[in-house]
Amino acid sequence: MARVAARLLRVWRVVGGRVAQSAAVVLALASLVFLALRVLPGDPARLVLGDMAGPVELARVRASLHLDEPLLAQYARFLRGLSRLDLGDSLRRPGTSAMARVAEALAPTAQLALVAVAIGAATGVAIAIAASGPWLGLRKRAWIDAGLVVAAASPLVAFAPVITWVFAVRVRLVPLPGDPDAGASGLLFASALLAVPLAAHVGRITRASLQEVARDSFLTVARAKGARPARVWVLHALPAVVGPVVTVVATQLGALLGGAVVLERMFERRGLGTLILEAYATRDLPVLEGAVVAAGLLFVAAQGLGAAVHVAIDPRARGEG
Amino acid sequence: MKRARWRHLVPLAAVVVAGGIGLMIASAPATRLDPASAWCAPSPARLLGCGEAGVDLTAVVSSAALRAVALAVTVSLLSFALGTPLGVAAALARGRFERIVERGCDLVQAFPTFILALAVLSAVRAPTRLHIGAVFALTSWAPFARLALAQTRVLRGAAFVEAAVALGRGRAGVLVRHVLPNVVGVVAVQLGSTGASIVVSEAALAFVGLGPRDGVSLGGVLDQGVAAMLRAPHVLVVGAVAVFFTSVAMLAAGNAIGNEVGESY
Repeated sequence: MARVAARLLRVWRVVGGRVAQSAAVVLALASLVFLALRVLPGDPARLVLGDMAGPVELARVRASLHLDEPLLAQYARFLRGLSRLDLGDSLRRPGTSAMARVAEALAPTAQLALVAVAIGAATGVAIAIAASGPWLGLRKRAWIDAGLVVAAASPLVAFAPVITWVFAVRVRLVPLPGDPDAGASGLLFASALLAVPLAAHVGRITRASLQEVARDSFLTVARAKGARPARVWVLHALPAVVGPVVTVVATQLGALLGGAVVLERMFERRGLGTLILEAYATRDLPVLEGAVVAAGLLFVAAQGLGAAVHVAIDPRARGEG
Repeated sequence: MKRARWRHLVPLAAVVVAGGIGLMIASAPATRLDPASAWCAPSPARLLGCGEAGVDLTAVVSSAALRAVALAVTVSLLSFALGTPLGVAAALARGRFERIVERGCDLVQAFPTFILALAVLSAVRAPTRLHIGAVFALTSWAPFARLALAQTRVLRGAAFVEAAVALGRGRAGVLVRHVLPNVVGVVAVQLGSTGASIVVSEAALAFVGLGPRDGVSLGGVLDQGVAAMLRAPHVLVVGAVAVFFTSVAMLAAGNAIGNEVGESY
């Protein structure tokens, strides 16, 4: 009983620490966005309406955004709104709550990111197992290692348009960017592009971790008992290296979110990225604040989930090993 | 510098030299528009062809690559110069200051940097390279500070540091004369990846429409390339190759310089 309580306490400490850190990240991000839009030189009301706006219109926007109040009062109002998920109405769609627009855009981005994580993690692990087992020669393994390094170092913004041109224009296998009927194949292709850097990072970490456990006695025992190579690597070796894989997936999520913005822009897909860009272009400040905070929340939630999975499956992460 | 390391500087030197030559042989400045030649294919007169509104891609890509390298070098060195002493000072001071700097690094490194850049740049009417550089500098000091902090924690108990303290050297003297020279080499290795990520992030920001107002950026070329994918695919290829080579050249050069600095101390 005492051991169970001590274990629960350790898990609680780790999870509690992560939750506090995540909350601090979101609060800092939200505060920075709030300050950037109000403290940096330039009148936010003029940003919204443009230089030709008259004093009456400017006063109306200042009042609707509460810009005429002291900064501290504005900040308190902003934090209160944030805690209630209510940052006011969208300036460009009066009557529609800014957070409603954000919630609407969150689903397609989460879908894109989730499919990309699934493809990237599965591909990376499969490549690492193929390169670690006895199926390939030394030269082919060296080629795989070099390929993983090149893929990890290649910027998404450089290779995604070129691959899209090859597959959409030359080979005509996938829909063109902006095709409204792209459907599932469009989602799958965009996710596959987003998954390339993730697959490379996961592949490199998994390969290195598998190499570390390759000579461990538990694998020797499994081989001695007659287990086939696929069983040895997938059922015995892989669970021992899941921790670093989960961690690398969680740490790559920031890049994945940035990549999602680039791909949504390129494929003209609806999502958080296009909403942020649209809100930036039209200076819809409540939507912009809400979308950036939501992106930060998505990011820290995914990182927290990754850490929780790591703690749940690896006793060493709980300080028990 | 060892001969093998010189080789790692070749790609960056090639980007800079090619950029300089490109600017000299370009038929027009990077911002000159010539609508009659819009999307023209590569030819002896215009080696890389033309982009939207007839801009000469040789001039645009050369100028954009040089500016991206200059921005990446400036921000990386600035972050290195700010982050390293901060990390060393925090580890030497111990206590609350050390915890604050460590938590600050955690916080900054946990930010989705690209989203943060979008948010901060949205407060500016028309971003310039100075704004873009400032946004990158907001977060890029943290990896340097964290590395310096970790390395100083290892060194602060070393005999030579304790000897310097016992001989009456002040904290600043220990920091400058004894700890910094031993930390700089390890931290400098970060220069390459920081420089490369700045080149890529600047291109990505320009690609989504938050580039410098003059439109001269590698991401801007890629954006034009995607828009004209069917009629002028050469624009896309030119932009992609330029982003790839510039970032890889920064990565290789930064790593070579970092390793050289590391061995010098």
